Amino acid sequence: MIKDGKKGMLKEDFTKYKLKPAKELKELVSGKENILVLSCNKCFKEFVSIAEPEYQEAAEIVKSAGKTVSGYIPVDYLCNQYLTEKILNKYKNEIENSGAVLVIACGLGIQTVSQLVNKQVLPAADSVWQNGFHGVTLSAEKCGACGECFLTSTGGICPVVDCSKGLVNGPCGGAKNGKCEVGKHRECAWELIYNRLEKQGRTKNFIDETPKLRNYRRNNFKLVDEYVKLIRAKRSEGFYGGLYPVELKELTFDIPIEVFPEQDIVIIPLSQHAGLACEPLVKKGDKVKKGQKIGETAKSPITAPVHSSVSGEVIEIAPKKHAVLSAPVLSVVIKSDRKQELDVSVKPAGTVDSLAKEKIAEIIKDKGIVGMGGAGFPTAVKLKSPKPVDTVLINGCECEPLLNADYRVMLERPEELILGLRLIMKAAGVLKGIIAVEDNKPAAAEKLKALLTGDSSITVETVKTKYPQGAERMLIKRVLKRDVPLGGLPLDVGVIVNNVGTAYAVWDAVYNGMPLIRRVLTVSGETVPKKGNFEVLVGTQLKEIVKFCGISLRSDEVLKTGGPMMGVIQQDLEAPVIKGTSGIVVVKKHDIVESGPDCIKCGRCVEVCPMELKPTFYVLLAKQGKYAEMENHGVLNCIECGCCDNICAAKSSIVEIIKQAKKTIREKKK
Amino acid sequence: MLITKVKTKEELLPVLSGRVLVIPCLGCSQSYFPVEEFNSLKDELKSSGANLASEVTFDYMCREDFTERRLEIYREQLEAADTVLIFSCGVGIQTFAGLIPGKKIVSGSDTFYVPGFPGFTPSEHDCEQCGECRMGLTFGICPVTACSKGLLNGQCGGAKDGKCEVDKNMACGWQRIFERMNALKGSDKALKEGVQIRDYKKSSL
Amino acid sequence: MKLTDLTRLGKFVVTSEVGPPKGINLDKMLHEAEYIRGRVAAINVTDNQSSVMRMGGLAACKVLKDKGFEPVFQITCRDRNRLALQADLLSAAMFGIENLLLLTGDHIVLGDHKDAKPVFDLDSVSLAHCVKRLEEGFDLAGNKLDGEAPKFCKGAVVSPCAEPLDPQLFKMEKKIKAGVEFFQTQAVYEPEKFEKFMKRVKEFGVPVYVGIVVLKTVGMAKFMNENVAGIHVPDSLIEELKKDKEKTKSGQTGVEISARLIKDMKNMCQGVHMMPLGWDDKVPKILEMAGV
Repeated sequence: MIKDGKKGMLKEDFTKYKLKPAKELKELVSGKENILVLSCNKCFKEFVSIAEPEYQEAAEIVKSAGKTVSGYIPVDYLCNQYLTEKILNKYKNEIENSGAVLVIACGLGIQTVSQLVNKQVLPAADSVWQNGFHGVTLSAEKCGACGECFLTSTGGICPVVDCSKGLVNGPCGGAKNGKCEVGKHRECAWELIYNRLEKQGRTKNFIDETPKLRNYRRNNFKLVDEYVKLIRAKRSEGFYGGLYPVELKELTFDIPIEVFPEQDIVIIPLSQHAGLACEPLVKKGDKVKKGQKIGETAKSPITAPVHSSVSGEVIEIAPKKHAVLSAPVLSVVIKSDRKQELDVSVKPAGTVDSLAKEKIAEIIKDKGIVGMGGAGFPTAVKLKSPKPVDTVLINGCECEPLLNADYRVMLERPEELILGLRLIMKAAGVLKGIIAVEDNKPAAAEKLKALLTGDSSITVETVKTKYPQGAERMLIKRVLKRDVPLGGLPLDVGVIVNNVGTAYAVWDAVYNGMPLIRRVLTVSGETVPKKGNFEVLVGTQLKEIVKFCGISLRSDEVLKTGGPMMGVIQQDLEAPVIKGTSGIVVVKKHDIVESGPDCIKCGRCVEVCPMELKPTFYVLLAKQGKYAEMENHGVLNCIECGCCDNICAAKSSIVEIIKQAKKTIREKKK
Repeated sequence: MLITKVKTKEELLPVLSGRVLVIPCLGCSQSYFPVEEFNSLKDELKSSGANLASEVTFDYMCREDFTERRLEIYREQLEAADTVLIFSCGVGIQTFAGLIPGKKIVSGSDTFYVPGFPGFTPSEHDCEQCGECRMGLTFGICPVTACSKGLLNGQCGGAKDGKCEVDKNMACGWQRIFERMNALKGSDKALKEGVQIRDYKKSSL
Repeated sequence: MKLTDLTRLGKFVVTSEVGPPKGINLDKMLHEAEYIRGRVAAINVTDNQSSVMRMGGLAACKVLKDKGFEPVFQITCRDRNRLALQADLLSAAMFGIENLLLLTGDHIVLGDHKDAKPVFDLDSVSLAHCVKRLEEGFDLAGNKLDGEAPKFCKGAVVSPCAEPLDPQLFKMEKKIKAGVEFFQTQAVYEPEKFEKFMKRVKEFGVPVYVGIVVLKTVGMAKFMNENVAGIHVPDSLIEELKKDKEKTKSGQTGVEISARLIKDMKNMCQGVHMMPLGWDDKVPKILEMAGV
């Protein structure tokens, strides 16, 4: 209850432990030789330095006792057993050769280490007691977690924690001048309670209540044990980290795919993929047909051509707003003649059985097929793996909240999807195909399974819903139990991952000869009047869709392309839909709170990061401009899934910080 | 790490008066929030005649400046409410009540203690912050939390088949200490010396 | 008379126990005590046994003492913090109660006030230490006591058949270091295990009084095997109880088994502690048959 008058941070110290006195430490290490020191960097504090400040002091004391410090391993969040185990595995020899392990941490860290190392563990610190729990944001208020909340009758002031005796039926006779008998630093909670109840005119109600008895059994082993098991199981389900965001899939879950009307103008950016941008094959004034190739480049194998999504006339070739890239991108602007005349190249090429492996790969490249989950990696490149590949995995998870585009394709166009997968398998020379579907889409899984009965080459795997399961690394871990190395690719573990939309586009390209000029996307959000799943022509401007769906943003909302978690905020609706646009969603703005620290080191981001990184470090290091250190801490491995951002108790925009840092690091390398 | 459980209809109905504004705090929902129980409690309250007039969502209610900001955003709903029914841990409720002390608030949930410090995934380990860590003697297993009685000087007679008398699923902390000691080929010499007595001054006030 | 003095004189010490009533009528308890008058050296008075609330042991001890019995004041750490424990110890000394049995106590959740706050401020070891300090003339905080310091005979418990045994032996040793002078044991049904136990504790040099709980029914034996820590009733005894239902019902089998156990073990230890659980009337017969 001691505040310094400022909002947000408090003078109160939330530190979890302090070093034991020198005398005690010396006693602790007596009789031990070669002491290995492990330290955790305290949590719940304003985060200012990664190094544990108390290590030096501890090391000096150990040395002054005539002992050798055989090594020092700083491990932040020691209590995170999963990550700590991985780190300690790297130091097996150091641990083995040490006489004892001295741990500078709170009791949780000490117990975690004891469980992981086969050595006597010596606690170098004493935990600092807190009267109750301060929530996750360093609040002045404390909760005793008594399991029988009394706050209703005490006007929201806790008698269990704030009264030194934990009295629940009124004040004792020990208060003087509003201060508790145990010390003048402590206010009498019951005087505060009385004043508040008086203010609300509720003192009489309190007097009339029957006397309360504490029930100390409510926090019992069974209850606590069950919660711990339940929550821990959920956390580590399938892969480390991740979230269970509110999905709101129901908003468009049952809405069939509707063809979005062709507009007068389409804008086709010459870069809609990972890799080199295309060069225009047309010029202003040229007539183009639907499906005609209008851009490509031969300068790099990592690229994908682009095609016109309408028939009409090129009216401009100029840099235009892009939905993903921040700088304008050279784009072909076409005025539709509404005739929808197909280019001569748009014709069926054959079937999965009639076409040779190489021919399929060629079509996939020629028709501009790219990953349609967002990253836009050219599909043809994946097919030419320099490493042996045994499985093609179709990602039907669609783990982003709100989005249902892939689900509708699986449900409405399953035969095409399966043929698309077969084509990819044949082109890659792979015999095993898996379609992974999250368990929140049972109808899609059932439908696909029914179509695949008697076919052992393709299986449908239902996986428990968890975000970001659709990320390649997580999906491979979940379905195939293989670990993609950090910085590596699915190919490194023999897998090609493709999105549902991509497989469908492959079918469209082969069986109809249609290049990737249209895609299914979801338009959704609680306040969107006309929500739905639309098949939209690439190049259709966002503003047309916004108009069609009647979207008008409220002051606390933003519009994103992609999903709510990883989508890109669109300020300007001039940008067009591109191959990777999986949705247009209206979501609540990220809370921005100027006051308070950027990081309170609660460690939640570390718990949820599926790439097993420590996002909290990046917030600090970015502020200090230490980009090289960020790179050492693996920032380039971040997949920008947004879990850290979503859970941040300090409401820092962590993903934005990471994106900027990555950009800076990459620019420096150039 | 704190866990909440919703209170019963019987407990809440008598204290809900007038127009009720319902506020769930979802800041910690990634760890746990009893969504189903919350929804069905609301239905029960409504069908029993409680006037649940509106509902708004908070997160990290425990942080004063976030809560203050939301109080501004939802001023209309707040002003219209006679009672605010909050589903949050005790920290959140107190923070909220402290910011509008004139408003009658009702706690919709009970907060339970779960091992591990707030903010983290619940842990199989616990630390009571006793302020006088003895794990150097006890081979890295905490006698204060791993023993149901918090005994510091050895096992009581209540363990059976290695399990504690309070629950057959709870391992006897002192037996664990001895097992660990044997695994490490350690000695109980230091443990035998002297009598351990807790200094509660280090964990109070 | 202190129990250890009897041992020192070379006597085989026999004790039994009674439980105070849930109420203020002591007739039944005294009636039970009368059965064993003259047959035992002392009678233990339990302290909210099994965490079930009863009349306080101190008052019951005082009444027994007044009636010419030698009480053993059992005192647990479950319900009292260090202030209350010391206060009760001084009260006991004032009443002339000499024998103490110092226990940690069953957990609250095992009893009839499951919602109550478990105290466990001290444990059996620190309680023994605390008594020693009082005997030295100081309270636990180091303050000097006024006048003469109390003098007690300090007992504690141990489970000879606990699995594993090492933690129990460790604790026993620690209790002895803290000042414990004698041990009454948890019920023993396996003399061979007890023999092994006694061999290991011989070096400690403190008297051990073996615990005997009279087996009443097959169900009771099975229940204890299932639920009671440190107790194991071997199958052979369960078979024996099963064999003659009438004999078991009348208590005869239980008496025979108890007497046989005492006979088997009396030369291994320094005494026997009877826990008749209401069958106090059978104690004299058991002792007679066992020859003690």
